[in-house]
Amino acid sequence: MELDYLVTVLLSSLSSASILLIATLGLAVVYGLMGVINLAHGEFLMVGAYSALTATQIGIPYPLAIPVAVVTTMLIGAIVELLIIRRLYGRLFDTMLATWGLGMVFNQAAVLLFGTVSPGIGMPQYNFKIGGYSLAAYSIAMILVAAVMLAFVYLLMTKTVYGMKARASIQEPKMAQAIGIDSSRVNTLTFAIGCGLAGFAGAILLPIIPATPSMGLFFAVKGFLTVVVAGPVALTGSALTALGLGGGASVTASFMTSVVGDVFFFLVTALLLWLYPMGISARWRRKL
Amino acid sequence: MFKVTNATGGYGKTTIIRDVTLEVKASEIVALLGRNGVGKSTLMRYATGLILAKKGSVEIAGARAPAAPAKRARLGLGYVPQGRFVFPRMTVTENIAVAAASNGFDAKETVKKMLADFPLLGPKANDLAGGLSGGQQQVLALARALAIKPKILLLDEPTEGVQPSIIDEIAGVLKRINQESEIAILVAEQNLDFCLSIAERAYVMEKGSIYLETDRESLSRDKELQQELLGV
Repeated sequence: MELDYLVTVLLSSLSSASILLIATLGLAVVYGLMGVINLAHGEFLMVGAYSALTATQIGIPYPLAIPVAVVTTMLIGAIVELLIIRRLYGRLFDTMLATWGLGMVFNQAAVLLFGTVSPGIGMPQYNFKIGGYSLAAYSIAMILVAAVMLAFVYLLMTKTVYGMKARASIQEPKMAQAIGIDSSRVNTLTFAIGCGLAGFAGAILLPIIPATPSMGLFFAVKGFLTVVVAGPVALTGSALTALGLGGGASVTASFMTSVVGDVFFFLVTALLLWLYPMGISARWRRKL
Repeated sequence: MFKVTNATGGYGKTTIIRDVTLEVKASEIVALLGRNGVGKSTLMRYATGLILAKKGSVEIAGARAPAAPAKRARLGLGYVPQGRFVFPRMTVTENIAVAAASNGFDAKETVKKMLADFPLLGPKANDLAGGLSGGQQQVLALARALAIKPKILLLDEPTEGVQPSIIDEIAGVLKRINQESEIAILVAEQNLDFCLSIAERAYVMEKGSIYLETDRESLSRDKELQQELLGV
């Protein structure tokens, strides 16, 4: 086997893992800091993608369309938290059902608004070559985007007062209130940030993954599993899980077929959950 | 200063405390005594607003306490729960900083002051609170409660599972903050010696109600009551 082939496989697998991480981070934040599994996460990603697409169609340049998508999804997220999620705290399965239903509504709304086929955003494709193999520059750039996004969320949650309040609220909810933390306001913001991260993912991935009403489903399943395998130390756990599962599946897929890659993903997930029922990070002593 | 009037409450449909009325005056230290399961912790949680009140009211620094625990904290109610409940995946510094910042105080300054007041925490400042010993966590829970600049401090079994040297340190700190910062203190305890060393007055609870109010002198003379409280 040649070196250029190995490097190509490595880079594209790392890129797949990064794309999974980008799509999952918002889910990890909401689960890790609120204990809520947002099954509409994939649909928020889709809303982000359509927001960015619509923004470019009315003439906003693509780099500015990304913040538009983030703000839109954050606003919708805040409204959803105020109207639905906050009535269901501590009821994990009820929140899952409610957000699942919400996802369907979003999905159908997108079908009605945009139809089932969407135009791409028509960005020029840049490729570069490693030996005899050609790689899409944008996909590889996602490795950098994932790293920056991870660092941003980590700093937000560890260096700001909001981040401290959010972590205190999930670790000891009653004590957090007793020392004066307004948990409900913190939770609204956390949910909005989680949805904003989904919106960012949808927008930044738009050049590689075109907007379709059902695009959320693919990410919802893998993202959900990643977060559950990661466990309570949500950020580090999810990063490692995305790298291991997503990267591993992608490596497997490049040597065999994409079906075998998916089989790898789900088998390893099942194995990890059997070994660590509370997630791989259940016993870690880390902040996030 | 701090008043609980006709407190009646519990968990779900079970009522644990009934018509409890007590008062702590400004810069007074009062003990809440009684054997296991008489409702001391429930009364503490009632006062913080963490359990639903079926009846009765709480007054903090002359103001009627709102229902939300966070608002009571801002009125000046500090709480150190039984079992400490520090935020385990946050550092010692963050545990103190988040309490200060949530009540509009300067986090950095408060942390500096607390680390100076509790030299025990200094070397652990950047360690995760979950990794501290029981005694260290107790001191941290106390520092966290003081970070909100309380007017009344509720302490629930502060000596439970804490080594004797740290118990002495806690008693010393409580006396000092009580005198220096004029913080009123209500302390629920089973450790009689600890209470006699700091409190001037005591309420004795039994079966969810207060059945006796006494002071330090009569309590230290009343051997029969002591025996009963110690459960001998």
